Amino acid sequence: MTVALWVVPALPFAGFLLCLLLGSRLGKSFVSTVGAGSVGLATVAAWTRLVPYLTGDGTPVVEKVAPWIAAGNFSVDVSFRLDPLSALMVSFVTFVGFLIHVYSIGYMSHDETDAGYARYFSYLNLFLFAMLVLVLANNFLLLFVGWEGVGLCSYLLIGYYYEKEYAADAGKKAFIVNRIGDFGFLLGTFGVFGLFGTLDFDSVFSRAAADPARFAPGLTLVCLLLFVGAMGKSAQVPLHVWLPDAMAGPTPVSALIHAATMVTAGVYMVTRCNVLFRLAPEAMFAVAVVGGVTAIFAAVIAIAQNDIKKVLAYSTVSQLGYMFLACGVGAYVAGMFHVLTHAFFKACLFLGSGAVIHALGGEQDMRRMGGLGRRLPLTYTTFLVATLALAGIPPLAGFFSKDAILTGVFAAHRPILFGLGLVTAGLTAFYMFRLVSLTFAGDFRGTPEAAAHVHEAPPTMTLPLVILAFLSAIAGFLGLPEVFGEGANRIAAFLAPVFPRVGLAAAEPPAHSLPAATEWLLMGTSVAVAAVGILLAWTWYAKRAGRPAARVAASLPALYRLVAEKFRIDELYDVLFVRPFVWLARMLWKVVDVLIIDGVLNAGAFLVELTGDALRFLQTGNVRNYALTFLLGIVALLLIVLAG
Amino acid sequence: MTPNGIPLGDVLLASGALFTIGLAGALLRRNAISIFLAIELMMNAANLAVLGYAAALHSLEGQIVVFFVIAIAAAEAAVGLAIFVALFRHTETIDVNKINLLKW
Amino acid sequence: MTARLAFDVAAGLAIFFACVMVVHRHPVKSVLALVVSFFALAVTYVLLSAPLIAAVQVIVYAGAILVLFLFVLMLLNVPAEVRQTPGRPIHHTLSAGAIVAFAAALLAALRSYGATAAPPSPAPSDPGDLAPLARLLFSDHLLSFEALSILLLAALVGAFTLARREGSP
Repeated sequence: MTVALWVVPALPFAGFLLCLLLGSRLGKSFVSTVGAGSVGLATVAAWTRLVPYLTGDGTPVVEKVAPWIAAGNFSVDVSFRLDPLSALMVSFVTFVGFLIHVYSIGYMSHDETDAGYARYFSYLNLFLFAMLVLVLANNFLLLFVGWEGVGLCSYLLIGYYYEKEYAADAGKKAFIVNRIGDFGFLLGTFGVFGLFGTLDFDSVFSRAAADPARFAPGLTLVCLLLFVGAMGKSAQVPLHVWLPDAMAGPTPVSALIHAATMVTAGVYMVTRCNVLFRLAPEAMFAVAVVGGVTAIFAAVIAIAQNDIKKVLAYSTVSQLGYMFLACGVGAYVAGMFHVLTHAFFKACLFLGSGAVIHALGGEQDMRRMGGLGRRLPLTYTTFLVATLALAGIPPLAGFFSKDAILTGVFAAHRPILFGLGLVTAGLTAFYMFRLVSLTFAGDFRGTPEAAAHVHEAPPTMTLPLVILAFLSAIAGFLGLPEVFGEGANRIAAFLAPVFPRVGLAAAEPPAHSLPAATEWLLMGTSVAVAAVGILLAWTWYAKRAGRPAARVAASLPALYRLVAEKFRIDELYDVLFVRPFVWLARMLWKVVDVLIIDGVLNAGAFLVELTGDALRFLQTGNVRNYALTFLLGIVALLLIVLAG
Repeated sequence: MTPNGIPLGDVLLASGALFTIGLAGALLRRNAISIFLAIELMMNAANLAVLGYAAALHSLEGQIVVFFVIAIAAAEAAVGLAIFVALFRHTETIDVNKINLLKW
Repeated sequence: MTARLAFDVAAGLAIFFACVMVVHRHPVKSVLALVVSFFALAVTYVLLSAPLIAAVQVIVYAGAILVLFLFVLMLLNVPAEVRQTPGRPIHHTLSAGAIVAFAAALLAALRSYGATAAPPSPAPSDPGDLAPLARLLFSDHLLSFEALSILLLAALVGAFTLARREGSP
């Protein structure tokens, strides 16, 4: 029997309801079972559909659940879509989501109350529901529902420790910055409807592909607007500011939402709309530039951060930049491939950092870590595997996906962007090994009490780490470059139906026209750059305990401070946007609301009072006056009757 | 033209004159009972007018009306004067200028 | 011809004594002037072929109502009106103006509404005959007549209650 597609998101939603309504009363074991179990069931349900689909021919499956809106010309249904792209997304969203739920059981169990624990799992389940709706949606509006839903859950989970002001503020910041992006996305959706008269994916894309000349002019603006949404959701410059602050949430949240799934929604959306983007080359160029700039920008900041989670956050921003860079040059497959591999190794890295933080009783500053490799062997090993994957060392997954991206950029004849990407690769390797060295190598620099407390994490936490590290290692073989043989790039073959032919010649993905020698050269270059980064970081931090780095920082103090303070972008936004808005709000309050609106109303009341004060003199209490008034009225009436 | 040859105009003129005089009395006197008296005069003026029309239109309905009006005027006078008596007991005066409890 | 003259004289008397009533400051003398005026009015009623009404006017109005007024005046020992020192000029001028305006308007109305029109209806058999009047009163207006008696009862009770001293039987 075939499981209906809507069951897959419905299971976590049921989990959300159960944990929310019953969780605080029924205790932690109930919440753990239901919370992780619902996601596990969803994973199983999803894979029962995915396994036959993966071996099939990849024709899209559309399952309409119910009509939703039907108003005149505008109609939208609740319908879900299974095609190679959504299949790819569902595969790791469910599985990695499940692993992280299991991890959370161990991570969240001792600090939280029953109510807090239940709240955590209900939000996490709600998130998974929204994410699955997002990737399985068959039209822009349902996608937007999921889009908003993940934004909401991100806010709820970042602000999980809501009693801490910085956590509550971080949640608000994430939601507000996301909202700015969402505004762009919504405008883009309106544009899509305006151009095509429908929001259904199949209809929109087939119409666009069939008549490119007619739609291409309007599509540039529409695609740029849609990309603004992606910039907000996937933390690209300048809307990246929320992601590092989002580290205020629990570490599994950072792993799931801010590494593996939600932030990749932007990349997914751009890939889903590849037909539209390919008809708007200017928009694609903008995507590539933003991606490239973000990649290097975030990587530079990461090398000067001291909080382990902040390094990983900026690393995520940087890697997302890579994905958009790939999309922008037409190498969509490479971008999606990187989404997949990144989900595995970044989730592993975050969970590993969570294990470290847990072991040190909450310490996140790397300057007070060190030498943990001996004390936490399992954590160290998995962390190292994931780091090597991220740095791009073969044969681990990150190497193949990153190489695919760089090859794509090179094949698209974009030397500057290629240079940016290459330098970023080096920086990535450098800051990741700086992190590893500071945390796991050398001597322990923390307090003696912390040292005594250090212990390896429980199996609920270490098992997901192992699985994710393993996947980081082998996932690369899904997308081997062409040089290894025809058809070696299985993922490209799988995703091919998502990229139909489009009328414009310029809109085709770059042909694999690179000679084998060039490909090998490119591969070698990226490995070399990564190796240089690793060596430098290891030497400076592991062997010489960071002294060379300190010397460099001391010689360029202003530059170092600028980088360490994340180029003071938040401060810039504060001056440019926050202060004027606060001023405006105060103005609206003090002047418009109190003076003008209240004033007008009070003036009206005052006028009435004044009139009453004046008119009361008619009440003389003297009957004769009343009789006189009466008479005057009668005279007037008589005159009117006589005249008329 | 009434049966006895009195032109209706004369009757109405007389009625109007009486009414206006009564009006003047009601507005210009200070004594509550005098005001009431003037009102009675006004009512009589109205009766005269009705009777004038009744005679001119050869209708007996008018006389019936006046009959009732006089009866009701009697009732009204009784009640009104009773009120004045009660008022006087309260305020020791029937000067309308001084009876102004409803003043602002 | 003579009827008309008689009417004019009677009406003139009525008007004259009405003026006296309005002008005189002593309330008792006012009432007495009004009595005379009502008598004159009764004469005009007779001339207008309403002898019953004239009789009722004399008996009820002049004889009962105004006598009641006299009683109350005596009871309350109302003094003559004295000219007030702070006069109330606004009220007086405004009243005078309104009255003049009213009179003018009334005059104009009377003139324009055809006071001289004579409707063509047949003369009754004998205008002074009471039988048709009585018949009309006790047939078409029987309800009103009976209701009137109840009204008089109500007025009686009301007047009694209002004028009673507090706490007396």
